[in-house]
Amino acid sequence: MLLEARGVTIRFGGLVAVNHADVTIDPGRITGLIGPNGAGKTTFFNCISGVHKIDGGEVVFAGRRIDGLRGFQINEAGISRTYQVINLFRKMNVLDNVMVGMHSRLRQSFWASLFHSPGQHSEERAALAKARGLLKFVGLEGKAGYPAGNLSYGEQRLLEIIRGLASDPKLILLDEPAAGMNSVEKAQLDVLLKRILGTGVTILMIEHDMKLMMGVADYIYVLNYGSILAHGEPAEIQRNPDVIKAYLGGE
Amino acid sequence: MRLPIPEHGGGKNTAAVTVALVAALLLPTALTFLFGNDYPVFICCFILIYIIAVSGLDIVFGYSGQISLGHAAFYAMGAYGSGLLVNFLDFPAIPAMLAASILASAIGALLAWPASKLVFHFLSLSTIAFGEIVYQIITHSPDKITGDFIGLRSEFVNLFGYLLDRPGKFYYLALALAALFLLAKTHIVDSKVGRAFLAIRENTHAADGMGINVRKYKIVAFTVSAFYTSFAGGMYMHMVGYASPDTALQKQSVLFLTMLLFGGTGTLPGPIFGVVTVMLLVEALRDFQDYQVFIYGILMLIVIVALPGGLYGASKDIYHRLAARPATADGEGGTSDAA
Repeated sequence: MLLEARGVTIRFGGLVAVNHADVTIDPGRITGLIGPNGAGKTTFFNCISGVHKIDGGEVVFAGRRIDGLRGFQINEAGISRTYQVINLFRKMNVLDNVMVGMHSRLRQSFWASLFHSPGQHSEERAALAKARGLLKFVGLEGKAGYPAGNLSYGEQRLLEIIRGLASDPKLILLDEPAAGMNSVEKAQLDVLLKRILGTGVTILMIEHDMKLMMGVADYIYVLNYGSILAHGEPAEIQRNPDVIKAYLGGE
Repeated sequence: MRLPIPEHGGGKNTAAVTVALVAALLLPTALTFLFGNDYPVFICCFILIYIIAVSGLDIVFGYSGQISLGHAAFYAMGAYGSGLLVNFLDFPAIPAMLAASILASAIGALLAWPASKLVFHFLSLSTIAFGEIVYQIITHSPDKITGDFIGLRSEFVNLFGYLLDRPGKFYYLALALAALFLLAKTHIVDSKVGRAFLAIRENTHAADGMGINVRKYKIVAFTVSAFYTSFAGGMYMHMVGYASPDTALQKQSVLFLTMLLFGGTGTLPGPIFGVVTVMLLVEALRDFQDYQVFIYGILMLIVIVALPGGLYGASKDIYHRLAARPATADGEGGTSDAA
């Protein structure tokens, strides 16, 4: 397994937002995380990515405890993420957004930058080429010089994904990548997710679009009121009476 | 600030820089000839010194988005620190300026360490308090070594036996140093470090998610910024041969901030535009010296209401509108560096 969350618990005041959640993510797969609104999905992402400190349980990533690390350290460790509410550097251009995503992989020191050393120069050139490659990967190469805030909603989602990929993560957490996308963009996203998987990056994804989720996910966890309600392959999840009840309500 | 197609602008930029450099080299001779005295050259020296100081403020405020209302403290520390090292420890002026700036930036780092946890107005309050502390120390020093309210005298720069005792002589050193500091700024900005600053300004939360140690880079920005401004202070001390405690006043911090906002934040030319215009305005309105802070206030208001990108931002907009070429990504490129 690549990531194992054991008994992850977080409380906000009296509210237990995530309650003893056990989630295992195997490498080379797309794992889905679904659940009704307010079930604690994004909070769970925040627990893994170091935004929140967990109150109980542990998170092991690639054989190493990562709970308690801060956000930037978790990125360094090899987990990157996108956000439910788009969180780009809006006034920076598209290319620079991707370059920022490489931060934890660039070795140049402050002094090397100050003196513009040959090593720093060649690293910057390589980074630039890589960033352009990533833009091409999602078809944004024509928008490199635009401020990120000027892109369409769907394009901003794509930019967030490649900004996340720029740090060569082992695992990427995608928080509702299809939200706000039109049907054409969603169809392209389906293909893109498989291409990302093809580059050796494992995916954990929150998504409300069930058609997309059931189509791409290899394994799905269902979160309800902060607890894992069910997990299994998409077909099993679709048949699970508890899941149906949680989504449709009723007794 | 990577423009989308840097190769294209390259040739034009080199030409513009060459023209500017030649003009800058001939300026003192021309001004002295025109005015018959070297007061205008003296103002030019101040412009160069302030360009360094304000570029420093831009690194912390324009790039990393942390407001400092106490940068005069660094300016004064550079001036007094350097003067004291020359007077009491017989340092030559330039090593003294360097040593004082390193010391001042170390103090800046110590201030930034706890302050980096503060957000916006709390940070600006702490920088005001810091400025006030420095002013009090300078004006109430042990054994009056800083000259207290009278100010501190020190020596002119002696460059390998050549004494820079006139503005016309100091000017060339100031020009070289300003060019050096501006070059260093472009290097810092065009690197992992510079992008981290911008990312923090734009979105602290996302910066953290992208692997940026936000606190570390906030401290780095503050330290670098302090180095720039304190070095400028040292230059002032050894250009004039005297530093006044007024340089540590809040008024001086407001002057730096006015210059930066008026010229435009987060760019290389912004501080240059701002310093030149505000200095010339202040000189032109010399008869109204008592109203200086009032004038700064009006300038700030103009910027906030009418020119959010500062003079440089506005001139760039006009330039783009005039040169409205067929739509390419080129026209959009520079926008990422406007605050």
